[in-house]
Amino acid sequence: MNYGSEEKLASTFAEELRQRMLGETITLCYQCGTCASSCPVAKITPSFNPREVIKLLLLGEKDEVISGEAIWLCCSCYNCDERCPQKVAIPLAMFALRNIAFKEGYIPDIYSEFASAIYDNGRIVTISKFVEKKRPTLGLPPLQPTGVDAIRKILSATEFDKLQLKKEETS
Amino acid sequence: MGEVKVGVFLADCGNQLPEILDFKALNDFTKKVSDVVLVDRSNEFWRGEGLQTIMTAVRDGTINRVVVAESLPKLSEVNIVQAVEEAGLNPYLVEVIDLKDHCAWPHRETPKEATEKAKAMLLGAIERAKLLDPIEKLEFPVLKSALVIGGGIAGMQAAVDLADLGFEVHLVEKEPFLGGLAARASRFFPTDDCATCIQSPASDVKTITHTSRKCVYRSGFSEIPNLSILANSKIVSLEGVPGNYKVTIEKKPRYVDEQKCVACDLCTTVCPIEVPDEYNAKLNSRKAIYMNVPNLHPPVYVIDESVCKFHDCAKCVEVCPTNAIDLDQKSERITLNVGSIIVATGFQEFDSSIIKEYHYDDYPDVITNLELARMIDGFGPTDGMIIRPSTRKPAKKIVFIQCVGSRDRRYNPYCSSICCMISLKHATLIKSAYPDTDITICYIDIRTTGREHEDYYEKAREMGIKFVKGRPTEISRDSETGRLIVDVEDALLRRFLELDADLVVLAPAMVPSEGTKELAQIVRSLSRFEAFLDEDGFLKEYNAKLRPTETKLRGIYICGGATFPKDAPTTSLHAHSAALKAAKFMTTGKIVKDQRTAVVNEEYCGDCVFCPVTCPYGAISLVPTTEEHFVAQVSDLMCEGCGICVGTCPLNAIELRHSRPTQMLAQMKALTSVNGTSKPLVLAICCSECGGTVVDSSGMAMMRYPANVRIMKVPCTGILQVHQFLEAFEVGAQGVMVVGCKSDGCHYEVGSQKAEKKVELARTLLKEYGIAPERLEMLNMVFIEGNKFAEAAQTMTERLEKLGPLQLTEVS
Amino acid sequence: MTSYALFLGCTIPARQPNYELSARKALSKLGIELVDLANMTCCAPPPVQSIDLETSFAVAAYNICLAEEANLDLVTLCSGCFESLCAANVALKHSPAFKAKINRSLSKTGKEFLGNKEVKHYLQVLRDDIGLKRLKQSVSEPLNNLKVAAFYGCHALRPSGHLRLDDPERPSILENSIEALGAESVEYKNKLKCCGGLLRGLSDEIALDLAREKLANTTKAGADCIATLCPFCFVALDIGQMQVRSKFQETYDIPVLHYTELLALALGVDPKELALETHKIKVDKVINKIS
Repeated sequence: MNYGSEEKLASTFAEELRQRMLGETITLCYQCGTCASSCPVAKITPSFNPREVIKLLLLGEKDEVISGEAIWLCCSCYNCDERCPQKVAIPLAMFALRNIAFKEGYIPDIYSEFASAIYDNGRIVTISKFVEKKRPTLGLPPLQPTGVDAIRKILSATEFDKLQLKKEETS
Repeated sequence: MGEVKVGVFLADCGNQLPEILDFKALNDFTKKVSDVVLVDRSNEFWRGEGLQTIMTAVRDGTINRVVVAESLPKLSEVNIVQAVEEAGLNPYLVEVIDLKDHCAWPHRETPKEATEKAKAMLLGAIERAKLLDPIEKLEFPVLKSALVIGGGIAGMQAAVDLADLGFEVHLVEKEPFLGGLAARASRFFPTDDCATCIQSPASDVKTITHTSRKCVYRSGFSEIPNLSILANSKIVSLEGVPGNYKVTIEKKPRYVDEQKCVACDLCTTVCPIEVPDEYNAKLNSRKAIYMNVPNLHPPVYVIDESVCKFHDCAKCVEVCPTNAIDLDQKSERITLNVGSIIVATGFQEFDSSIIKEYHYDDYPDVITNLELARMIDGFGPTDGMIIRPSTRKPAKKIVFIQCVGSRDRRYNPYCSSICCMISLKHATLIKSAYPDTDITICYIDIRTTGREHEDYYEKAREMGIKFVKGRPTEISRDSETGRLIVDVEDALLRRFLELDADLVVLAPAMVPSEGTKELAQIVRSLSRFEAFLDEDGFLKEYNAKLRPTETKLRGIYICGGATFPKDAPTTSLHAHSAALKAAKFMTTGKIVKDQRTAVVNEEYCGDCVFCPVTCPYGAISLVPTTEEHFVAQVSDLMCEGCGICVGTCPLNAIELRHSRPTQMLAQMKALTSVNGTSKPLVLAICCSECGGTVVDSSGMAMMRYPANVRIMKVPCTGILQVHQFLEAFEVGAQGVMVVGCKSDGCHYEVGSQKAEKKVELARTLLKEYGIAPERLEMLNMVFIEGNKFAEAAQTMTERLEKLGPLQLTEVS
Repeated sequence: MTSYALFLGCTIPARQPNYELSARKALSKLGIELVDLANMTCCAPPPVQSIDLETSFAVAAYNICLAEEANLDLVTLCSGCFESLCAANVALKHSPAFKAKINRSLSKTGKEFLGNKEVKHYLQVLRDDIGLKRLKQSVSEPLNNLKVAAFYGCHALRPSGHLRLDDPERPSILENSIEALGAESVEYKNKLKCCGGLLRGLSDEIALDLAREKLANTTKAGADCIATLCPFCFVALDIGQMQVRSKFQETYDIPVLHYTELLALALGVDPKELALETHKIKVDKVINKIS
């Protein structure tokens, strides 16, 4: 993967997508369908087909993709990434599209839970005090403290915390 | 050198130029220049009476330097130079300038200024002419013999062409038999003839009639005079120079005497060793002594030394009726001297086992198109039946997969161009012979670009061959039934398919052959630069448009699949082209080249390696001298006269004979000696390729730019040194424009890039001296950008006007 | 004694003490020291990458910084953590521009990513540091030809360009590691296919369908149990097995064990010390078969 993008103002959606994809591009896609037939989700439901998602983007149908359910159904198995003959970074594109959807307010509920947990506890799955106390009885060493403070500093630097707050306001 | 006597000839172009330029003033001005002994004027001087005038003046000894102001500078120059030589003067003592395109046309609205500029131009030409040296023509011998490497259809065709033309040709093939890949392909599109035909290159030898084709064994190919065929032979080393290459070949032993073998096949009946036959995709086996199929050439059996038991067995020796088998045969080293070389080492199929999800390596029923071709071939291992290798039973459900390793950025990003046609050919042949076969072709795009190619696609659909637009993700196998399952999305139908198949045929990418890779290593020793292969490993032509079968190495030509996958008709064309080029090269038996090349001043040359490393043509080598010191030496044969070495040398130890710094300085001084306009003088130094042509074209198209802009031509902007830019300002230029080819399109490869760097450095220096660096700029343009040049000249003029006159103080 | 900084992640300490126990005990028996560093956080797996990629790379880089400061390579138990951290490590090492960008985000934490440490999956440590031969020799309670369906999951192998754990099409490290324990690795259909774990909670329908396929294929192949490398896969196939039963009315009774659990058992750890009661699908028949 080429991760060499410099900071630039994203003036178009394509440019924004490319930036979020760390310099990779979907324009290499020639619609061969290898990703579709390697996708475990596409085989089960017509609601998600990676080739079609990319096709829609190449045709400029940004809103349909960002507001739709398809991009949330990718299971991130990276099978398409392995097989794509054009080395299109499809899973990365899915994440980037979700990032953009998140920014525009299209958020499945479970994600706002993750976001809150990260901010509050530095983890997406909270380790309860009850579980922590049980550790010695099981024979496990005590848990080291979580770097909540550090993670909050990062979330502030990347403006992740603004995203989360935005969600709370509209909920 | 003796007395210099310059004759100046002013052509008025059918009396057009005097409408703008004051020819009387030019005449008077020119007469007064020192060492000018003759000034003449006529309609034209490059032919007819005008030319006669020049020739007479030369013959009489009246003049010994010729300056001509003529239109159509390139065309006219050739004629004038030839005539001058005929008249007895060294042809390189001629200077031709273009008062029309460089002066009258672009400065049409300011005739007075144009006339002043014309004076400067004439002065520049005269001062340069005075400093010109006679330049000799050298002759280098070219042997009238050729080596053709590769005995496939390209190599055979090229070899026959050259042999027919009377050259001595040596055809070297590393396999024991000729024919290459094509011989195994069974049938060809679009002619539907069989592979054995294609092996008989068209020859004009009297033994053949004018029919369009003949089987190779009836073609008399091997009896063509001047053509010697060395099969089972490899190139070991290559040395030498264009026109005189020395090649060492290792002829590996066949262990069968070519003069005695009658191809009776008795030996194979007694040979105890049997191995899978790679020629036939290992679908059958052959013996240790073998000829894979009956019609191969040369018709001499060969022993596979890696499996033969030799004297521990020797059964074949006992049984051979002509005593042709010689188990003690040794390999032979053969050295040849040839004038030219044609490389036709072909391509091969990509190794599909790399794409693991297709299981080419571990499912026997997954095969490639080449292997299928062996099955289709009536002479092949399955008698023309299409079978499943796992069961040897007929295959009734076949799925083709296109673009296996082609158009794939993980392996070969290019399209291999012929695989769609090969699969269509195979599918239609199979369907014709066995109509009850179910065939599906999985594709990304169907490419049928040649004449009659689309017919195959149509025929295939008509015959009921199915097409699925989708690239399969994987092939799996049912563990119980052994049947193959091709997992593919039909993108048009938006449906996922699991295609059941007996046999899956992969259309793999076509990649450079092993022989091509090996040869590239050997060729590397001939030249210092890596110009032989492109980034995909194919042989690289010098210029795709104009020199498709030539390489950067003079005398070495390329053709066929080794340059890029191609079909048989295109290969044929390619081979003819290479043969023609080789013939042109060899036909006079010599290379005649003038010495407008670089020459080293050994006193100054300082043991560095800049020029050999920079020369794009590998023309400079380092030779040791007696005192543990080495100097650069230029090969007049290889030098192209660009001068990039001159621009690179840190000690001014190398010069171009026809573009010496003294000549350039004299010309610069002359061009800036006369202004005649109210504008600041600009010197535009242009290369003789794109830079020069863009200036020409701005004039030809009658663009307008001011007359304070003076043009000076150099072979390549790469010749220019930093101090020369500064000199230009010293002699009176207020601004300097350096006009060269585009950075990625310099006709001498690296010249304009080097010039850019030097311009940058010079600008830094100017800044240090308190001189505005914008006075010096580099422009990269092409011929059609004449308007851009005119604009740039105008812009520079305005910029200099704003900056005001340049004040240089004399330092004593 | 080789030492690694242990990256526990979130799911394992929160929900799967069995995984942690078996891993700590087994690796300790093999002479691998696991150092617990303070101030680690979430690794920033796909759920976080979905929200913001830059944040997730920064968070991953932060955790790697802790290991760099301790001068230790990182080892993960969870494949998800492995993919997240290893991919970030490779990406930042590969691109100076991207590294600079992420370091800007990290600057407020006082940390700087240098790129001088490796991120490994514990299987790599077993293969490269211990070696299959020594592993086999360390087995005191061979698993009695237990039939094990090796399930890699996705993120141990892919994206292979970054992770380079094994051949993504023809991996063998898990099968070999299973056989080294005296068990039999069983082939089954669509072995490398995703279990659907990451879709749980978002689209249970798809997630359970994928889990069901995995359970059906492993059962059909005659496996006694499934061996997993990832807590998400474990949940998908263990708790998921019960959900599949109620949704599809299909009962599978195939225990799901982490490879580390099999490893610990083969190295002689008492089953009672491994919190095996946390498995939703009881593992009794496995324990019985191997003793």
